[in-house]
Amino acid sequence: MRIRIPLAAAAAGLTLAVTATACGGSDSSDTPSAATGIAGPGTGTGKTITVWYMEGDLTDDTVTGINTAFEKATGAKVKVEIQQWDGINTKLSTTLAQDNPPDVIDMGNSNVPLFAASGGLVDITAYKQELSAGQTWLDGLAGPATIGGKLYGAPLFAGNRAVVYNKKIWSAAGVTAPPKSYEEFTAALDKIKAKNKAPDFSAFYLPAKDWHQPLQFLWDAGGQIATQSDGKWAGALESPEAIKGLQDFKDFQNAYSVPASQDTDNLTPNSAALFASGKAASILTTSVGPILKANPALKDELGTFPLPGKSGKAQPVFLGGSDLVIPAKSKNLGLALAYLKAAASPEVQKQFVVGVDGWTPVSTELIDQTAGSISPLQQGFAQAAKISMSTPAAPGWSTIEGDKSLSQFFADIATGRKTPRDAAEDFDAHLDRVLNAAP
Amino acid sequence: MKNKTTRRAALNTVAIAFCALWLFPVYWMVNTAFKPYGDILTTTPRFLPFPLSLDNFRSAIGKPLFGTYLWNSLIVTGVAVVVSLLIAVLAATAVTRFRFAGRRAVLIGILVVQMIPGPALLIPLFLSLKSLGMLNTLVGLCLTYVGFVLPFAIWTLRGFMVGIPVELEEAAMVDGASRATVIRRILLPLITPGIIATSVFAFITAWNDYVYAYVLMKDQSKYTLPVWLGTFSTSTGTDYGGLIAGSALFSAPVIIFFMIIQRRLVAGMTAGAVKG
Amino acid sequence: MSMVHAKHRTVPSVPPDSSAPRKVRRGRRPSALPYALLVPALLVLALVVGYPLVRLGVISTQGYGLRALFTGRPESVGAANYQELWLNPALVSTLVRTLVFAGSLAAGTLLIGLAVAHLMAAVGPRMRTAVTLSLISAWAMPNVASTLVWQWLFQPTYGVVNWLLTAVGIGDYQQHSWFSDPNEAFAVIWLLVVWQAVPFVALTLYAGISQIPREYYEAAACDGANALQRLRVITFPCLRPILLLVGILSVIWDFNVFNQIWLLTGGGPGDATTTIGIWSFQRAFAAQDYGQGAAIAIASVLLLMTMTGYYVRRLIRAGEAL
Repeated sequence: MRIRIPLAAAAAGLTLAVTATACGGSDSSDTPSAATGIAGPGTGTGKTITVWYMEGDLTDDTVTGINTAFEKATGAKVKVEIQQWDGINTKLSTTLAQDNPPDVIDMGNSNVPLFAASGGLVDITAYKQELSAGQTWLDGLAGPATIGGKLYGAPLFAGNRAVVYNKKIWSAAGVTAPPKSYEEFTAALDKIKAKNKAPDFSAFYLPAKDWHQPLQFLWDAGGQIATQSDGKWAGALESPEAIKGLQDFKDFQNAYSVPASQDTDNLTPNSAALFASGKAASILTTSVGPILKANPALKDELGTFPLPGKSGKAQPVFLGGSDLVIPAKSKNLGLALAYLKAAASPEVQKQFVVGVDGWTPVSTELIDQTAGSISPLQQGFAQAAKISMSTPAAPGWSTIEGDKSLSQFFADIATGRKTPRDAAEDFDAHLDRVLNAAP
Repeated sequence: MKNKTTRRAALNTVAIAFCALWLFPVYWMVNTAFKPYGDILTTTPRFLPFPLSLDNFRSAIGKPLFGTYLWNSLIVTGVAVVVSLLIAVLAATAVTRFRFAGRRAVLIGILVVQMIPGPALLIPLFLSLKSLGMLNTLVGLCLTYVGFVLPFAIWTLRGFMVGIPVELEEAAMVDGASRATVIRRILLPLITPGIIATSVFAFITAWNDYVYAYVLMKDQSKYTLPVWLGTFSTSTGTDYGGLIAGSALFSAPVIIFFMIIQRRLVAGMTAGAVKG
Repeated sequence: MSMVHAKHRTVPSVPPDSSAPRKVRRGRRPSALPYALLVPALLVLALVVGYPLVRLGVISTQGYGLRALFTGRPESVGAANYQELWLNPALVSTLVRTLVFAGSLAAGTLLIGLAVAHLMAAVGPRMRTAVTLSLISAWAMPNVASTLVWQWLFQPTYGVVNWLLTAVGIGDYQQHSWFSDPNEAFAVIWLLVVWQAVPFVALTLYAGISQIPREYYEAAACDGANALQRLRVITFPCLRPILLLVGILSVIWDFNVFNQIWLLTGGGPGDATTTIGIWSFQRAFAAQDYGQGAAIAIASVLLLMTMTGYYVRRLIRAGEAL
């Protein structure tokens, strides 16, 4: 990929590439000065930076925790805005093109490559050491933020999926211990299915359009979405492993989830709400929070475990999460960097990201350090996180999510509109085209 | 006679069936909005929302920034209606009352503008407002809606004005009335139905728009109500109760407005159709 | 802007009759006044529609992606976007689909609208008010809200439609997903669009019908004409100008229906409901290829202009006979 990265602030030896603004003649005054570093104590007094968070990512308490740490470090204030997921790429595209974008944006990790490769974000490679404080950031978060060897974002939190089950329904069907293998798991689900005959009941509710879930089956069978060689991406869904994984997914989905879920996502209807109302005995989800919010009475009835794969190991999970990025046209670079640093700091991560929100922290060191302190419910998620994968770190990946084609792909398979092979053939062609498109 | 009675009865039955069919979605919206949370997600729906629950409305109104969004919607819509009316009346006067070069082009342009697919102008409009420094301003948003409404407004008003005999004005002028008086005293009252129709259209265009408000406004404090409706679909699922209650709240002003001007609206259509 | 217009249609003006020429001042010397009156409108239109439209055309000849959006310096690619469009195997199927959609939506709207207009003319005043109010509430409902309500009505598990169909015994529709099958997905979209579009057409046509002198019908009845003949000989000729206008507007609006399709199906299942408008949006905003999206939009406008050109000219001429 050809990426022209003019160096705007090279004077002081900072490789601060501000692609978007550096060449725009009239805009050149907006580029951060060469002296910019991470803002220190007191330097931000009287200033306010704007930070965009994505809806549902962090709780208010955690955001306040980060803000307090930042304010203490710099003296500047923070204005927080919460963005909705629907249409977010369009929103970000036009926002990053404006002259006064927010200073820091919480961006889904799989979206970062698109905006980084197109020159919308500040290159923060020079600050990596300082920002990470010597920790090893999780590859699933730092990987997508690294394009052509340059870093464009600092990790905020990671999240992954584990099975959440309703102990009451499970034990009523005679299953009391979480399953250790795929066979045990399906045997348990068979019993639950036999015990509950209601037409809208699922032993395992799996909405096919929530593509993160079917992906686990694909990966478990050894399949990949796409592979890269010589800088060129190629769809890999037609491989025998991938086809097997897709078939496994279809068999499992059709056996244990209501027919309506073959063509819906996890939002409409809401999987957590369905589970909370007892319509599902188990779901694959990122957190128990929404379930308990919908039905607090389930507090002591929940259990979690990683989904056991046919492979004999736990299924690999999609490592989701977010990075904090800085728009290329941000006017407060030093303060923005300080904000990134505050959010990734071990204190904030331990106390808030893990302690309050129950997310996976951003570094392997922090995962080890917090392993002992987390609740039994969080253990299932933490165990599942051990084997994780991410989506292809290609700028075109956002298109795959944005055009809903990936959701459609799994729905086509689950409903039987296409055989796994036909669907894979069509979708590989789409992947080849889209993943290699220049941003 | 008997034949006529059966015919009447048959027609009435058809009309009632039609009303039921057409009102059903509206009724279902209201019904759902007033149900308590637990009654919404059920496979055997209840057809009356009793006991009435206001929970959904409470959670809808309780959303952060509801007041701001409402206020922005009212301001943007109000300004768009008034401004587009003023400009359209002037333009329609020019198109109907004077013969001038380019008249035909103006008319064709007005109709062709209808053919542009909606979201196609999003990026170009974004760029042009950006160069004017009007991004992220309510003024820019108002201007956008006025522009969208104008072609149709001019076309509609033109239809009403064409129907008014020039002789009427000429007679008034002969009697010594100034042109301004003519417009105010004679023209305006006659085109009132057209003005009502046009304002309805402007109202709805501005009140309804989601895409342009979402993209052209950067700050949350400048969003309008349709963007607020989007906040019910969250990453952890859709709050159907709140969403439907929100939709009902959002629709209510428009439906009430339509009901109030209903007679005049239909009258306006009749007036427009006379010339057929 | 048909997206904005797509649903809420207001009073149309019917092409004025041939007496129009009389009404225009003759013999006056050309004055600057008409231009002055037009200035505000032209200014706003140039800013919000004209310039962006030109810009759209320019973008369609550029490699305009995110990078170009951020830097403001796109690369010119000549006709490459159009060439790509022309060679795209999806072009023909998308065009055909769009035409079929627009045709069936407009036909459905006009037929039902005409039937309802006749119904209104035939029933008593109280029933007429009831029908008018039903029409108006459907008409007034903002299209974002009605699309959300539609999603809720047809929700697979909790949707009342599935429950009703099952209860009435039409079949087992429990858990039935309406958006999995191309025909059913389109049927749901059709219902929504037609539901919202009929009020405008019905009320306008009713207004037209109520203006037809009763004597015509009485005379026809004396001559022994049956209902169908009366429709053919009296109603249609009298309504022709209104029908023409309403018909053109319906075709234009239905050709560009966007919100309803995008929110209900996103163009799926597969690309079964991807009309040209959806396609343009997907290329521009999901793939961030604004150049290609613009090319599709321009092609779509040109196509629509060609299709409706004859009727538009007739419409303009009718109103323009100077």
